[in-house]
Amino acid sequence: MENNIVLTASHISKYFQQPDPFQVLKDISFEVHTGEFLCLTGKSGSGKSTLLYVLSTMDTDYRGELSLKGEKLTGRSINQLAAFRNEHIGFVFQFHYLLPEFSVLDNIMLPALKLKKKSRPEIEDKAYQHLQLLGMEDQALKPASRLSGGQQQRVAIARALINDPSIIMGDEPTGNLDSKNTSIVFDIFKQLSADNGQTIITVTHDEDFARRSDRVIELNDGQLL
Amino acid sequence: MASVNYKIAFVHLTFKIKQTMIAMLGVVFGISMYVFMNSFMSGINDLQVTLAFSNTAHIRIYNDIPPDHTNLIQTVVKGNPVIRVHNGRVIKYTEGIKSPAPIIKWLTGQDEVTGIEPQVNSNVFFRNGGNKVNGKLSGIDVENENKFFKIADFMVSGRWNDLKFQPEGIIMGSILAKSLSINIGNNVNLLTNDGVSKNYKLIGTFQTGETAIDNSKAYVNINSSRQLLGKNQDYVTDIQVNIKNYRQTWPIIGRLAPVIPYKVESWETANEGMLSASKLRDIIAMAVSLTILMVAGFGIFNIMNMTINEKVREIAILKAIGFSGGDVTVIFLFQALVIGFIGGILGLLFGYVVCLLIGLIPFKIEAENHLPFAYHFADFYMAFCFGLLITLFAGYLPARKAARIDPVTIIRG
Repeated sequence: MENNIVLTASHISKYFQQPDPFQVLKDISFEVHTGEFLCLTGKSGSGKSTLLYVLSTMDTDYRGELSLKGEKLTGRSINQLAAFRNEHIGFVFQFHYLLPEFSVLDNIMLPALKLKKKSRPEIEDKAYQHLQLLGMEDQALKPASRLSGGQQQRVAIARALINDPSIIMGDEPTGNLDSKNTSIVFDIFKQLSADNGQTIITVTHDEDFARRSDRVIELNDGQLL
Repeated sequence: MASVNYKIAFVHLTFKIKQTMIAMLGVVFGISMYVFMNSFMSGINDLQVTLAFSNTAHIRIYNDIPPDHTNLIQTVVKGNPVIRVHNGRVIKYTEGIKSPAPIIKWLTGQDEVTGIEPQVNSNVFFRNGGNKVNGKLSGIDVENENKFFKIADFMVSGRWNDLKFQPEGIIMGSILAKSLSINIGNNVNLLTNDGVSKNYKLIGTFQTGETAIDNSKAYVNINSSRQLLGKNQDYVTDIQVNIKNYRQTWPIIGRLAPVIPYKVESWETANEGMLSASKLRDIIAMAVSLTILMVAGFGIFNIMNMTINEKVREIAILKAIGFSGGDVTVIFLFQALVIGFIGGILGLLFGYVVCLLIGLIPFKIEAENHLPFAYHFADFYMAFCFGLLITLFAGYLPARKAARIDPVTIIRG
């Protein structure tokens, strides 16, 4: 299991045309194994976030080839990629980005309702399980906008987990959190990769956070160090 | 997939209920205006048709002026000869309808026909001493004529049915009687085209409100009219026919016209001017109400655009967690559809109430006491369809815009 490759990036290059033509990613190739807890680090402007969004399939404007779970995703249509993300990738962003009009429970259930692989009661049951895991079960019916930052980030993690994705991607998921909440999030990620074999790929500025992960990939000026 | 999109759309709609209501109000107002304008115009048009039928039947059969055959040589001699016909004359071989019995029998056998009224009409001079007025004398079957044109309702003096028993009685338009200075019980002298003159006694006057009729028309019993003109008991100049649906005169005219040598004319042909005025009014009503609906559409367009600008982040999140562009379009289009649907139904109701209220305003024209309104299913149906169409269109453009949002640029800021 440890040696199974879940993500292959080969010769990824990306250019920004605005404001001036600029190569932000330079021929990046690497592989990620199943169950790995991977951190992307680097100075700001090094291209680490850009790389994450390429890996996430949301950014399709790059050269090179990307495969996830053995499927070549480069060249697929935007809608096919959306369906792939829905099933296989969970996201946690720096700004928690919940849908404020919806309750905590609805926010968590949305990706699963979209996937439609399970019935509504099953999904609800599972959402409660995740909330319980994150110590949030009593907040389930509150509107998402009424939670604190740390609570919102935990809800965002629960949402990322609802479809049992193979890969969970984070864009500085602890960037806006205090040290206590940061360590909660870290522990959750660690547990997911160790116990569930889910792959974690996250961009972080936090050196302590990176050091405690399985593997660190550092970028400098668009190249791997 | 579908149900979750609708759920999101529903949450969006109910979360900012005020904004939704304002967008809906635009549709309500637009559609109620459409209903009001069209019901009012239909009311006016229907009133006009009713008025037209107070002196015209649905179909009229009569002997038209024969075509001009004065230059017969031209039809025989080929080429381009010089022809000069001096004092050419049109000869009318028959006056009136020669043998009305078979026509009436045929009409009686038709399912659509609800009434047949033979008349003997002629132009006469009404004379009282030095006063001489040109007018139209109608020889009619007293009961039948009333069934057709409700003439008894317009009587201002005397009784319509008295005409049945008084062969020398005459009923005149009130203005005509006044200009001849005669009152009930007075004698009036009638002079026909052929120079026959006969005295009648005025037994009643009527007032339809239409001056052209009130100042020139008079009724006598059909047999007195035949006698005056020196014709036989079969003689008829016009056959008036009423049918079940006055909008469908063509089937019966199409069957009858080719087989009889007389002119068969529908009320539409006889009232062409009135009908084109109706059509113009319909066009104006349509243009005004569609303009209002378009303005309502812009309102929806604006509000949808605003909503989407506000929700740009959420749309990006939806896309990041796996919603496709199509899903996003459905979410926002569905909101527009709900606004259009509920706004449409409320608009129909509100428009109807407005019509009822405005219909209470007193307004005296001819037979009506209030502003006329007519409620046609087609008007309401069209209002609803146009409303829905415009909201869909107004919602589609912003929804497309939302679908094209690139999640990366939004999330990365």
